Amino acid sequence: MQCHEKKLKEVLSKVFKVGLEMIDEDASPDTVENWDSLRHMNLVLALEEEFAIEFTDDQVVEILSYKLIKIVLQEHGIEFIQ
Amino acid sequence: MTRTEDVASVNQKSLCGMLEFVNASTVASGIPVTINFLRNFTIEGIEPFLQYHCKLAGLVPQVTFGNYDMVYQEILDSQSHLYHSSPDLIVLSLYLDTYLPDGWRASWRADQVMSGLATLLGDVAKNTDCIIALNTFIPPYYSDCGISMDKDTPSHYDEVLKLNQLIRAYIMANHSRFILIDWERFVRLLGADESMDYRFWYMSKAPFKKGFLDLYAQELVKVLKALKGKSRKCLILDCDNTLWGGVIGEDGLQGIKLDRHTYPGNIFFEFQKSIIKLHDRGVLIALCSKNNEQDVFDVLDNHPDSLLKREYFAAWRINWNDKASNISSIASELNLGIDSFVFVDDNPVECSLVQNMLPEVVVFQVPEKLYKYPQLLLQNALFETLNVSSEDRVRSQLYRSEGNRKDEQGKFETLQVYLESLSLSIKVHEVKDDEVSRVAQLTQKTNQFNLTTRRYSESRIKAISNSSEWAVITLFVNDKFGASGLTGVLIARKEGNSGIIDSFLMSCRILGRGIEKAFIREALFILEQSWGEKCWIAEYIPTNKNQQVADFWSTAGFREVERLDRHVLYEFSDSVTSIKKISYIAIEE
Repeated sequence: MQCHEKKLKEVLSKVFKVGLEMIDEDASPDTVENWDSLRHMNLVLALEEEFAIEFTDDQVVEILSYKLIKIVLQEHGIEFIQ
Repeated sequence: MTRTEDVASVNQKSLCGMLEFVNASTVASGIPVTINFLRNFTIEGIEPFLQYHCKLAGLVPQVTFGNYDMVYQEILDSQSHLYHSSPDLIVLSLYLDTYLPDGWRASWRADQVMSGLATLLGDVAKNTDCIIALNTFIPPYYSDCGISMDKDTPSHYDEVLKLNQLIRAYIMANHSRFILIDWERFVRLLGADESMDYRFWYMSKAPFKKGFLDLYAQELVKVLKALKGKSRKCLILDCDNTLWGGVIGEDGLQGIKLDRHTYPGNIFFEFQKSIIKLHDRGVLIALCSKNNEQDVFDVLDNHPDSLLKREYFAAWRINWNDKASNISSIASELNLGIDSFVFVDDNPVECSLVQNMLPEVVVFQVPEKLYKYPQLLLQNALFETLNVSSEDRVRSQLYRSEGNRKDEQGKFETLQVYLESLSLSIKVHEVKDDEVSRVAQLTQKTNQFNLTTRRYSESRIKAISNSSEWAVITLFVNDKFGASGLTGVLIARKEGNSGIIDSFLMSCRILGRGIEKAFIREALFILEQSWGEKCWIAEYIPTNKNQQVADFWSTAGFREVERLDRHVLYEFSDSVTSIKKISYIAIEE
């Protein structure tokens, strides 16, 4: 499935309640203040809903940065376009 | 308010969609509410759902979560966050696996667990004065004793059911403070798959999925709406294809579909049941139909399967005028704001006319899938009140005698002659114990004749009525058509030589007869008998519903002393006896 990368950024921006410009390639719990363990659950649920996928248990714990999320979503067959 | 308000029993929006709605930077206008969770599991996931449903209901929530599994400590520690804030609602969220960690194995007994829980609940109730919500527990989804049932194998399942029964009984016995949030019913509605999030239970102690959290949040928002006076008060119904199938003017009494034994009459019969249930909870029922009045009453009076009879209706407009005008006219007859109404009609044109002309009315169209109709009003929490008082049960009757009063009004040449003919009398006294619940309810529900719109819980009213610094005065009205019951409240506190009128409010059904003047005179008179003469300070806090009382204090003889941004202060330092007596209102001892 092809997908605009903006869609991914919008999910993070909504879940963490930060401006879209805060979500760059290096976004992680270190750069995004609201990215705590509780909101991480919402992130997982929101990504699964928006991209119609289901993470494996390991992936749930793994996807702790923007880059890792992208890699894992690509493993689920999602191809990002700019 | 739109037709979609509270419509879905399970909300279909995606998490992102909800967050977008919640985060949208429309001005956070609405009534602020504070909610404190005391919990023994991770419940933070409920926050977006709470924010979402609060925003739909015009509430702005502030949500605090107590420390994880520190329920006992936070209740027992007088320094805990619980006692620093005074929330509108405390939510005790107890998950059984954490509450009884050994419960899976030990043969525990429901009554023993309940007695521990009752102590805990008693402590929260004693140390706070707000409403407390408590959940039932979720019985195990699978049998823990296999397919065999014998009396020697303890069954976890049966014990949970018993415990839930005990919780219900406790809440019933303490309903002035406690509200039941029935998790057991949630899981019955949703099933295990839609309720339980075992992944996040094991990873983060967060056991519930979206559907469950959504129902939980909706249920809590019902409580908050009732507490903040946001409930609807009157249901207005069309007749043809709404109360019965078919058109009475064409099909006749024999031809309309209302037979309780056959489809689709049985659906309308069932819908009528749901209306009567609402009526018995104090909701006013009215008719608005394009029909000949006699035809409609013929059904109500003579159809063997019309459960609804003429006496259930507080008002009706059966004529050929447009429905928006008719609804406005019902609103003025019943003295209710337009936002108090819910309207049901089968005709999409009528529905959209009313929706456009009167956007504050909640409008429902009879569903095309008719079998869904009987649940329409049951699944939508529009008329919630915290407790049903004995007044509620006879409310329609009270309004009907008000209708008779209005009929007579036409017969008199001047208002004065009319008022004199009513044989009005009032009884004013300090609040009695059995009136506390009704007083709290009036503070929660009265919007129009309410000078300060301060909302109080039952326990708060109880506390201030027992304090020597405060007084709560109640009003009862009688006239030749009957008694109107407890319909006015004044709350005051003394501060040195001053008496401060904290709240002054009256039910709208007794307005327009000068009773408010007689009430204030009598109430201040009673207060000065126990407190001595006072300089009375009163205030008017404007809301978008109470403009009709903007100049009440001036007309009662109070002097404006200060006009602030949000409210106006008045003073009255003359002798109370200088307030003019109303000649046609007798004072009962």
